[in-house]
Amino acid sequence: MARANIFVGLEIGTSKICAVVGESRTDGSLRILGVGQVPSRGVRKGEIVDFETATQCVKDAIAEAEDKSDVTVGSVFLAITGSHISSFNNRGSVMIPEDQEEIEDSDLDNVRAAAAEVSIPSQNAFIHSILQHYYVDGQEGVLNPVGMLGRKLDADFHIVHGIRTRIQNAIRCVKELDVEVEDAVFSPLASAQVVLDHHQKNLGALLIDIGGGTTDYIVYVDGAVKQSGTLALGGDHITNDISMGLRLPIARAEKLKVEEGSVILGNCLPGETVVLQDESGFVGKEVERETLNTIIHMRVRETFDLLKRKLQQQDNYLDYLGAGIFITGGCSLLKGIDHLAGEVFELPVHIARAQSMAGVKSAIENPQLAAAIGLIKYAQAIHMDKPRGWISRLKQKLPRFLGLLLFFIS
Amino acid sequence: MIDINRSLHLGHNPAENITIKIVGIGGAGSNALDRIVLDGVENADLVAMNTDVQALTGSVAAEKVQLGREVTRGLGAGGDPELGVAAAEESLEAIRTSLEHASMVFVCVGLGGGTGSGAAPLIAGLAKEQGALVVVFATMPFGFEGKRRRRQADEALEALAREADAVICFENDKMGDAISPKAGIHQAFASADLTISQSVRAIASLFKRPGLIHIGFDDLRVALQNHGAQCVFGFGEAEGDNRANEALTRALKSSLMDRGRMLGDAQSVLVNICGGPEMTLNEVQILMEELGKHISDDAQIRFGSSVDRAMGNRMSVTIISSVAVEVEQVAKPQPAVIPPVALPPRISRVQPKPVAKRQPVVVEPEPVETDEDVEEMEQPAVASPAESFVEAVAEPMEEAHFAEPSAPDSPASEDEAGDDSLFGLDEPKPAAKAPAQVEKPAARPRPPVTRPPRIITQPSPVAAFSAAPKSSQEKQETLQFEPVTRGRFEKSEPTIVDGQDLDVPTFLRRNVRVK
Repeated sequence: MARANIFVGLEIGTSKICAVVGESRTDGSLRILGVGQVPSRGVRKGEIVDFETATQCVKDAIAEAEDKSDVTVGSVFLAITGSHISSFNNRGSVMIPEDQEEIEDSDLDNVRAAAAEVSIPSQNAFIHSILQHYYVDGQEGVLNPVGMLGRKLDADFHIVHGIRTRIQNAIRCVKELDVEVEDAVFSPLASAQVVLDHHQKNLGALLIDIGGGTTDYIVYVDGAVKQSGTLALGGDHITNDISMGLRLPIARAEKLKVEEGSVILGNCLPGETVVLQDESGFVGKEVERETLNTIIHMRVRETFDLLKRKLQQQDNYLDYLGAGIFITGGCSLLKGIDHLAGEVFELPVHIARAQSMAGVKSAIENPQLAAAIGLIKYAQAIHMDKPRGWISRLKQKLPRFLGLLLFFIS
Repeated sequence: MIDINRSLHLGHNPAENITIKIVGIGGAGSNALDRIVLDGVENADLVAMNTDVQALTGSVAAEKVQLGREVTRGLGAGGDPELGVAAAEESLEAIRTSLEHASMVFVCVGLGGGTGSGAAPLIAGLAKEQGALVVVFATMPFGFEGKRRRRQADEALEALAREADAVICFENDKMGDAISPKAGIHQAFASADLTISQSVRAIASLFKRPGLIHIGFDDLRVALQNHGAQCVFGFGEAEGDNRANEALTRALKSSLMDRGRMLGDAQSVLVNICGGPEMTLNEVQILMEELGKHISDDAQIRFGSSVDRAMGNRMSVTIISSVAVEVEQVAKPQPAVIPPVALPPRISRVQPKPVAKRQPVVVEPEPVETDEDVEEMEQPAVASPAESFVEAVAEPMEEAHFAEPSAPDSPASEDEAGDDSLFGLDEPKPAAKAPAQVEKPAARPRPPVTRPPRIITQPSPVAAFSAAPKSSQEKQETLQFEPVTRGRFEKSEPTIVDGQDLDVPTFLRRNVRVK
């Protein structure tokens, strides 16, 4: 294929809606062509609460992305999040029929279907079932069992599900604009595509994406997704706390958080203040820096504490995180957040952003866009998988076919 | 020792010695009964009553009473209420025995047919005679069942309202709305049964479960008192982190709730929250706050809460109310107009006579009125205020039969029972007592003329029931919570983890002073 594939990732976030247009080259590299980003309205905690307003914002974001990249957006990959999304691990198993020698592709589909045969609440729908490992007759850690001999095939899957109508709302919001949604992807899974590399996933890594309305997390151990989820807490909560604690309007509190906020306590001089300037430049209220930081610190620490408890509830994968913790999302820009996370989790912490990308530099360096850029990588992975699977299978069979042909001819 | 009388044995715990009988009358009634058995109900005896032997045999109720052995010869009543009445009359004795010793009788009946419409009022009356509190759960026929059935149902409902203490009425049409149009008719009827079953169980447990904040029968009556054409009932149960919210959402989604829209018009709403020992105040608070958004500011909220170990980590919400017909809402502030308005059949549903009782209460807000004014109010030219007083007292007396001596352990709260016994329940006593009280005004006729009504309202909570919901009880019943601030998340779905509302700033929850 000579033509490069164009993918668009769309994230309807709580604080901003962004559309990223990327180009997947034949050699597998990715290039960001353009980014459209508008402040989000009508979205709370990662979920749409005002459909019309949100649709308008999505429209603006896509239009901006089209402008900048000079590409017409026909379909997007959509990142979804929200507290309704939950996940669990499940094992599916199938017996290989007696008359069949080796494990075939269809068996993989069967085992995936078997793993999905679990009861989730009736209003919920499956979002992902992500393969972890195969087992062939109890042998662990098989990555690709096709062609192997065996009687019993098991597979562990990480299953992500959420409330159907809420997912559909997000999708409808895009479809209103005559743009197709190719796939809906759980947002931390998308972020992980670009934030974590292969090596880190194998060593074991926890990715925390702290956005405006939600904190999404995903745990990779041995290269497979072990745990994922969402806390409906995020930067908005910090802003809200500041606004209420210091009695400031929300917009002012947001500005104060971004410009002056830090999660480190005891780092400023006693009585040190931040002077707030109003629009006209006049000196307004003074805010004690330590107070500001205390408010932020308490909220962020609580979020991390909650997350830690949530991760420990299940198998405690925290002990397997060789590569440590990666924080991304808008809130990763908060000063000192890596130190605080290190203190809570007692693990090495990195502030991460999209890697292995080319193109618009400012976009790649911006951790706020990790999910949207990740979508492109996710899209690439899916598309690479499909044609390559088909072509490679053809390639595999072609020599045999030719051999047969030659045999008959001769 | 084993044979010891149940009510004696458990006499020290007033919540325990209530014997509840659930009676299903007619086909629809026994269907509902079957559903109740399926769902499981605590400590209640189930009695099926029907004319149709075949249907009766099919019922799972422990006790069965065949109505009209001679009249219908084991067949149904054929949609003829007259036949239903005749059948019930024939089996009076059997009915009476089956209802003996019950302190509460729940009657489940589908109105419109023969047995249900005919026999139910009679049976309700019998239960009443035996000294039980009678709550009727009636379903009205679907619109497509025809106008005749509807008329029969309306008539039966009217009769039931006269006999029973409270009638909860379910419109089948309304319940049908909740079902997807593709669902079979069977499912439509099943959903009606389910709703009845839920409400029966919810109300039964209201009185049975140990209440932190107890809801008494009086509360239930007030909530249903609105002479509403429509009963509003919602029940929801949920578990998990966000259980308070989910339970409420489910309750509001109940078929009779119309997603909480119905609550906006309600004058008085009864809410009961039940949960396991781990239920937190915070959850209750969140729930009530959310619910508050659906209820008008003027409405009186009767709040009850109970803890039941059996609930585990689940939490349930029961919302009961009734919504008035529009005509009535207009009429309400002017009680003088009510009598003619209240006469039409469909309106007086819960209590046939509270309208009359309202008169003495109405006088109260105008204590400065002169004698003449009072005379105008009490239509018979009042010779002396004493007479009008006696009348007024005697009136509520008739209504007070629900607290008859044979059922001293009625769920009406204790102090109330005390008040009622103060009047005594036989006619002569209050008559003797009332004039004694009024003697004072009689001696000095002019100035204290307005006092008698005031005296009436105070010792008689029975009269207070019929008063507009803005009685002095209001403050006692609603829990006043400290206002919680969630700032910009005020209107969004709360984030609740381990029973804490995380939308409230952390420093506020941890009580850290930031200034």
